[in-house]
Amino acid sequence: MTRDVLFTFLRKEVRDLRGNAQVWPGYLILPLLAVALPVVMLAFVPFNAPASLDPDLEMLLRLAGRDPLLAAYPQGERLARLMVRETGALFLIMPVILSGMSAALAIVAEKQQRTLEPILATPVSDRMLLLAKLLAAVGPAVVVTWIAAILNVIGVAVVSSMRLGTVILPGGAWLLAVLVLAPLCGVAAALVGMRASMRSKDVQAAVQVAGLWVVPAGLVLVGLVGRPALRSLVAGVVASVLVAALDWWLFRRNERRFEREEILTQWV
Amino acid sequence: MIEARGLVRRFGERTVVDHVSFSLRPGEVCALLGPNGAGKTTTVRMLLGLIRPSEGSATVAGVSVPGPAEDHARLRGMVGLLTETPGFYDRLTALENLLLFGRLYGIPQPLLLKRIEGHLTSLGLWERRDDMVATYSKGMKQKLALVRAIFHEPDVIFFDEPTAGLDPESARVVRQLIASLKRAGRTIVLCTHNLAEAAELADVVGVLRSRLLAFGPPDTLGRAAQAPLCHVVLTAPAEGALRVVRQMEGVLQVEPAGPRLAITVRDADVVPRVVTALAAAGFGIRDVRLHERTLEDVYLEAVGADA
Repeated sequence: MTRDVLFTFLRKEVRDLRGNAQVWPGYLILPLLAVALPVVMLAFVPFNAPASLDPDLEMLLRLAGRDPLLAAYPQGERLARLMVRETGALFLIMPVILSGMSAALAIVAEKQQRTLEPILATPVSDRMLLLAKLLAAVGPAVVVTWIAAILNVIGVAVVSSMRLGTVILPGGAWLLAVLVLAPLCGVAAALVGMRASMRSKDVQAAVQVAGLWVVPAGLVLVGLVGRPALRSLVAGVVASVLVAALDWWLFRRNERRFEREEILTQWV
Repeated sequence: MIEARGLVRRFGERTVVDHVSFSLRPGEVCALLGPNGAGKTTTVRMLLGLIRPSEGSATVAGVSVPGPAEDHARLRGMVGLLTETPGFYDRLTALENLLLFGRLYGIPQPLLLKRIEGHLTSLGLWERRDDMVATYSKGMKQKLALVRAIFHEPDVIFFDEPTAGLDPESARVVRQLIASLKRAGRTIVLCTHNLAEAAELADVVGVLRSRLLAFGPPDTLGRAAQAPLCHVVLTAPAEGALRVVRQMEGVLQVEPAGPRLAITVRDADVVPRVVTALAAAGFGIRDVRLHERTLEDVYLEAVGADA
């Protein structure tokens, strides 16, 4: 039953997303940006031109030159690797925004469509319900992020081989960040979003809270852990452990504060 | 099967349910009548363990309320609930909706599908199972909600306004389904405004307006609430008849209106004696009628007196 309950809401969320074209842009624009930005940069940046021609390029080259992790590469490749690595932050931002926004509606939208009471009347425990809603909020966001990451890797490899004659593939830190840290950051944003959803009396209020507070807080988290995690495997492991601990604390807090009665009776 | 003991629920200063006590045996159907805001839904939510009573307690299907969270979860698995509004996901099909809730009740998939097919077929919805719920009428959604309330075969079922807003045909189908559940021995609590429905389906009726104003079988509730009323129509107005009737034992009140006497008696057995006495005194009698108090009379009197 546990697995069934966990995946029930995920299935519902996926069907809901498939049937609601209005939410597609949110799930398409960010991934497209994350895939296209590094590929387009690699395709059009004049790697072999004198840096003095473009002040921005000059600044990037200076940054790449100072980075000890890139010191072993020739100048053009160094710049390319710097751009690919730094745009990897988009894959941390993506699940934060998508799952944070989705989770902010997780409870309040059920209230609005009057499905909350029938759900609360089932024998599902608070913990299972929260876990299922969490999975439903984070699952699609993470899948979209990973698909975008795969497309990004392919695009970067193809364009880098064409332009630089070498295939740029992601390093261990990048992979860890995208495969582990990104979902964990998404979970953190979703848990904060769910808390907001539990307290909101209507969907508009939940969307406002998500836009003004949940997503910015998630982005601050990404800002704090993303940069070091994308540069170093060790930093990535430490960041993942810290964010996982934060997720655990947030989940327990949500579980303690999940009051069926309060949620049922605080109607608008 | 259900025993409520002094249930009280306050929201801030407002007492929504005030010392409500009643008990139902297994297989009994209880209709809770009351105006909007009378505390019917709150009472049901307390009995389900969804909200905590401010005072009092209850036992439902052997589970104490309030109690530990695990007991409440067990209780929710043993009871069915039809909420006031159906509450389905509009973008999912009827079948997808029922499968979703069925999984939450832990019903194994093959059994769940079999039960859903059986119920939807009997309610005439099987052919529409793959249509999105958004395309369903209110009556169809209500039937779907009924299936959700019973597909886990609960011992106790709570129906909150099951026929509200339905067309007569749909309402009849819903009533038939409730009647079949009653025949199957389920214990049912029916919150309704529909007095005819309560009289038709319920073994016991409770009139609720924060407090339980009346409780008992619908046919005896009228007699218990107030003494029977008998109308005797004489062949001609007669002051003397008034004197004859007033001095009789068991006659509580007599109100004349021309040849008509409205006689309130202690019980229906007094009426033949009244008729015999009038005839013996020489008064011609054209008509005698015992006014059976309907459930509506009881309800309006109870609610009116409380207001």
